[in-house]
Amino acid sequence: MRLTEPQSSTSSLHLDSLSEAGPSSATGATNGHNGFLAKSNGYGLPFTNGSSRSPDLDGVSGRKSSKRDLSIARVTLPGTTLYDDDPSTDREEFVRLVIQSLRDVGYHESAATLEAESGYIMESPDVAEFRRCILEADWDRANIVLTRLSITEEDRLWEARFLISQQKYLELLEADRTTAALQVLRQELAPSKVDPDQLHSLSSLMMCSDVTDLRQRAGWDGASGSSRRQLLINLQRYIPSSLMIPQRRFATLLSQARSWQQNQCLYHNAPSNPRTFSLYTDHLCDTSPFPRVTTAILEVHEDEVWNMEWSHNGQYLASASKDKTAIIWRVEHDKDPSVREIFPKHILREHKFPVGCVAWSPKDDYLLTASENDIRLWDVERGICIARDVDHHSDVVTALAWLPDNAHFISGGLDRKIIIWDLDCKPRDSWSYCPIRVTDLTLTPDFSRVLAIGMYDVVPEVPPVPTPPENGVPQARPTTENRVIVYDLATKQLETFISTEGELTSVKVSHDSRYALINSSASQTSPSEIILYDLELEWVVRKFTGHKQSRHVIRGCLGGYDGNFLASGSEDGIVYIWHRDSGTLLEALAGHGSGSVNSVAWNPHNVRMLASCSDDKTIRIWEAPPSVASGAPVGSAQPATNEQDGGKGKGKNRERWDGGDGCGYGASSSSTFL
Amino acid sequence: MGMSYRRYLNGARIYGCAQCKTHLATIHSMISKAFNGQHGRAYLFDGVVNVIEGEPNDRAMTTGKHTVRDIYCCKCGTTLGWKYDRAYETTQKYKEGKFILERNLLVSVQ
Repeated sequence: MRLTEPQSSTSSLHLDSLSEAGPSSATGATNGHNGFLAKSNGYGLPFTNGSSRSPDLDGVSGRKSSKRDLSIARVTLPGTTLYDDDPSTDREEFVRLVIQSLRDVGYHESAATLEAESGYIMESPDVAEFRRCILEADWDRANIVLTRLSITEEDRLWEARFLISQQKYLELLEADRTTAALQVLRQELAPSKVDPDQLHSLSSLMMCSDVTDLRQRAGWDGASGSSRRQLLINLQRYIPSSLMIPQRRFATLLSQARSWQQNQCLYHNAPSNPRTFSLYTDHLCDTSPFPRVTTAILEVHEDEVWNMEWSHNGQYLASASKDKTAIIWRVEHDKDPSVREIFPKHILREHKFPVGCVAWSPKDDYLLTASENDIRLWDVERGICIARDVDHHSDVVTALAWLPDNAHFISGGLDRKIIIWDLDCKPRDSWSYCPIRVTDLTLTPDFSRVLAIGMYDVVPEVPPVPTPPENGVPQARPTTENRVIVYDLATKQLETFISTEGELTSVKVSHDSRYALINSSASQTSPSEIILYDLELEWVVRKFTGHKQSRHVIRGCLGGYDGNFLASGSEDGIVYIWHRDSGTLLEALAGHGSGSVNSVAWNPHNVRMLASCSDDKTIRIWEAPPSVASGAPVGSAQPATNEQDGGKGKGKNRERWDGGDGCGYGASSSSTFL
Repeated sequence: MGMSYRRYLNGARIYGCAQCKTHLATIHSMISKAFNGQHGRAYLFDGVVNVIEGEPNDRAMTTGKHTVRDIYCCKCGTTLGWKYDRAYETTQKYKEGKFILERNLLVSVQ
């Protein structure tokens, strides 16, 4: 496309270093300075290569229309890449994207100058004309130009033509030129090899009563709207992108870079904004506002605290304890730790056995609790039990979850039953057969699926005969396995299941209903792990390890901004927090007394607040370290041990399941604060 | 310490606590039916589940001196039998580490 002056790359390198001699000459002529120059010195010294200027050389034919072009000297560079030491970026591609961006925002003179100086043009005259024809509704001309746009396959050319004719047809209908529209329908649309249904729906638009009706039924915003631009986007896929560059291509690449940087940012716990995302540097969140110190210890329970759940508004925390009570705590999560109050609003005392699970209704006006096979429904405001059932489950009820109508809920138990209830605690529906003793279940937030986990009994051979020795070694056949079962909520049909060797104790689902988080205890062949399972693709995305779970019911959760983090309790009394997308262990928070940390719960409204409950009878609230000015909070004696244990925990606990390289960040970040 | 679910057994015949039906042992782990407890006939099992073991103490039994611990149902707390820690007579050593459940305190469950 352009002429280049023969020139060796070594001489080019030398000249480059001369051109930037001012600010960074100290770095010498070593490689890599080109990149530095481009990043830091955009305005001072443009990348020009003086000696290679040659007014006589102008490879761009047909671009001399403007006077400016004549006065701009073409710059000829060696090679075809943007930087001669970096083969990955093609110079022509890069420059054309810059020209496109300049034009998009209105720097037309600069764009023309760059075209003249580089010898690259944003797009060929044909593409420019095609674009103009579409935007100005010059359909006949557009069809002629279309044939010059390197569409090699006949079928694809027909499809592109169909799109253009469709726009033409709709615009004619919109302008009330029905006869002309009919002609287009008969002569242009009908002969194309299009799906008859599509043609039929197009012809039915003839009957539209008015323009508004037409636009609505066609899903089209009219000639004066964005429909012609949309048509161009649709036509893009038929035309080689090197010929017609996709719209705002540079911005697309930048947004990809942003999302990659966000994935690399292990402590990303706030929405993105221009302040935290600059093109000048890679994005990295400040690690200091991360919840890692205890700001409150809730000491009312008289025995081990086994389970917790935040209300949907984040203002209350319900806890379930071995002491046979459940407590509704008021937590002023939006106030500063030094002035806010946390107190038990109600202590629910009627259960006769330890309480194992709690569940807030969608409107936070009811709370469900279960203890053995006893389910109770409580009025949150008054703290009184308004309904109960002990007749329908014959064994421990392990899980409760609400349906979106605030009037029905679902329970699962070790008796292999899954039941749907109303507010009077009367069963309304149930699964006719559930193959597992349910140890936990949950609904996806979009209420499309039920996820149940539990123990699956392998039907034993009767009478049991010893397995014949294989390879001389008698093998014991396992009599139980554990399963995660995914049901469709509407039909109660099983969609899929996965088997695990470790016992399953907790299941949660991400806000987007895409991922399930499952705690699995250690078994003979696998360590204790938390499984992140993709419900759409039906595969295990990642496994998180480092915590300890061998005998007890330990629960994890997703939380923080965008569910970027994963936390879990552990039998070693530590709260563990991982980065969800890399698997990096970020924090190992010490503070609870002896025994297990049984459950953790991230506040749904305050992404910087986490609660944990333990065998030590307490609940701890974890938040960011308070600023120096606000004084020492409750539990301020903890930070020293935090740091120590946090550091210790990291080295041994990390397990990576993908090829990323995020490890370094995690290890270096946590010991800098506190 | 910590929350845990009761264990569940499967097999041709499962013995449970007569009081609360908690699974205790299967017929496959039964060693002998020829034992006597405080409430009559008792069974010796190789392994049992869902029991809490009490403190050890020495008892003089018809077959000699033994160190045993009472065992209780983990759900309802009923005393179900005992576990042999140690047998002083050489001929009784086979009982060490094994469990006695009294037949009258058991039911067959599924």
